[in-house]
Amino acid sequence: MIGRWRLRYWPLKAKLLFLTLFTSTLGIVLVCASLIVVENQNYRQRLESELHVIAGILAEQSAAALVFEDNNQLTSIISSLRRIETIRQACVFDATGSVMSSLNTLESADCPGILEPPPMGFVGDYYQLLVPVTLDNETVGHLYLVSHLRALRAHIQTFIVVVFGIGALIQLALVFVALKLQRVVSQPILALSGTAERIAQEHDYSIRAPVSGNDELGRLGTTFNEMIGTIEQQNRRILESRAGLELIVEDRTSQLSLANKELEAFSYSVSHDLRQPLRAIEGFGQALEEDCADQLNETGKDYLRRIRAASVRMGSLIDGLLVLSRVSRQPLENQRVNISGMLQEITEELKEISYSLPTDIRIQSGIWVIGDGRMLRIAFQNLLENAWKYSSKEVQRVIDVSATADSRFITIAICDNGVGFNMKYVNKLFVAFNRLHTPSEFGGTGIGLATVYRVIRRHSGDISAKSEVGNGASFYIKLPVLTDQH
Amino acid sequence: MDEYSILVVEDNPDDQVLTVRALKNASRNSSIVVVEDGQEALDFLFGRGSEEPCVNLDLLGVILLDIKLPRVSGLEVLKKIRASTRTNWLPVVMITSSDEPAELVEAYRLGANSYIKKSIDYSEFSDQMAILARYWLTVNKVPKAGSVRQL
Repeated sequence: MIGRWRLRYWPLKAKLLFLTLFTSTLGIVLVCASLIVVENQNYRQRLESELHVIAGILAEQSAAALVFEDNNQLTSIISSLRRIETIRQACVFDATGSVMSSLNTLESADCPGILEPPPMGFVGDYYQLLVPVTLDNETVGHLYLVSHLRALRAHIQTFIVVVFGIGALIQLALVFVALKLQRVVSQPILALSGTAERIAQEHDYSIRAPVSGNDELGRLGTTFNEMIGTIEQQNRRILESRAGLELIVEDRTSQLSLANKELEAFSYSVSHDLRQPLRAIEGFGQALEEDCADQLNETGKDYLRRIRAASVRMGSLIDGLLVLSRVSRQPLENQRVNISGMLQEITEELKEISYSLPTDIRIQSGIWVIGDGRMLRIAFQNLLENAWKYSSKEVQRVIDVSATADSRFITIAICDNGVGFNMKYVNKLFVAFNRLHTPSEFGGTGIGLATVYRVIRRHSGDISAKSEVGNGASFYIKLPVLTDQH
Repeated sequence: MDEYSILVVEDNPDDQVLTVRALKNASRNSSIVVVEDGQEALDFLFGRGSEEPCVNLDLLGVILLDIKLPRVSGLEVLKKIRASTRTNWLPVVMITSSDEPAELVEAYRLGANSYIKKSIDYSEFSDQMAILARYWLTVNKVPKAGSVRQL
């Protein structure tokens, strides 16, 4: 059955009308049926008693004729029955059971024998009746009558038509009444549901449902209105607080952009003004060493070299800080980045700068991510440089880069066989200026991994590290496969 | 061969000394003119008020222009140099200590011929100056100012 034909999918009005009509129809049909049954019963009884009266009269009239075997008399008595239309057969029997006279309008029926009496009462389409004919309390013969029931059928048929006709009229009247009356129930509900629909569509919580009466429907309306009132109030409060929040956000945004501008200006002057005196220290140091070499002893020259080396180190610190501040504030671009290719390039560069020991570098091909190419380059350059640097004291340098991916993240592992670090200090790894090795062991600024961390975090990714002292280190960079950057 | 001269626009006295020292070491015969800021550079090139400029542009081989200058910035000086038919053909090398990608792009957009980041390591800086002097003063050819005007 198709769902929408089910009763529960009907509109309320139709449902109410259907229920009313269904009940009334059932009532009317039941009343009609019982009327018909009763009428049928009454009519039969009337027919039966009529026939009995007729049979009684005939029996009385024919008693003398039977005793005197006056056939003419009997025939004229029986013939008088022709006037009664429903009588189909009439037979008069004498005391011995032989037929004395008969009237027969049925073509193929003889009078039955009465020694074996035929079934009495209603038989099929007929009513059969056998009465004794008595004279002075002595049975002198029998009278047999068969009445057709066509009249009964016709009567009942007419009766059925009339009764159902009246029933239909009553039903029609009931439809009108039900149509009028169902509104009493359906109207408030429809009004309520209409109001609810309007509120849902227009989001106008100032609309109220009309309330009439104090019955359940009236109370439903009142409760509904109270509920909408509460929602309206809460809505107003939310809107008010949102307006407040928007103001705060606007304020904060302008503060933030101001701070950002200041930061930019600051890093510009750091880049320019901090470097300048360093350059002077370093430059004049060298000039002194070159131009006044004859006036300096070895200690003086050593001091000068230290001064110059310190200036150069401070220069790279400033550079590192600038990169860190740049990866923090520059807007991210979204590109497809070939990490494998990038790592190959970096490796080639590293080999050109320092290629002092046998190096085995394995880079899984076909690693692609979505992100900012320049920033990722900074991050992977740092990671690879670290792997390179911290494995420079091994007999053979082994660096392995591989990637695994699931539906959401790609994880790139960069593993080396270098000195590693103590996992106790893993939390300090990604904090700027925290170093796990002394500058004399391995050079560095302590800003590299902080920069890597910043780049990966800005890509909504994460970085972790695993190591064991003397057994190499592994860095795991987790980047979203489809980056939704902010 | 003509010996071109170099105009150095540099505000910091230390840098002035170090730059001139490095250039002198690389090219002993070049005359080096040092001006202290952007306004002085403009006065030197275009003259002050009604005064004619004292420089013969035909002899100017290259301008080393610091970007961060007081009053008129190096980029503004570059813009003015490129805006005037009198000077727009002059080779201008931007020299800076900063490392801002945006500044690099802007310098080339405004028509810089070259962009150099001053190295903190003075040996490297000296190398930079030597390469610069060799290229712009001996390898590179610039037209005579008069012939540019005739065209």
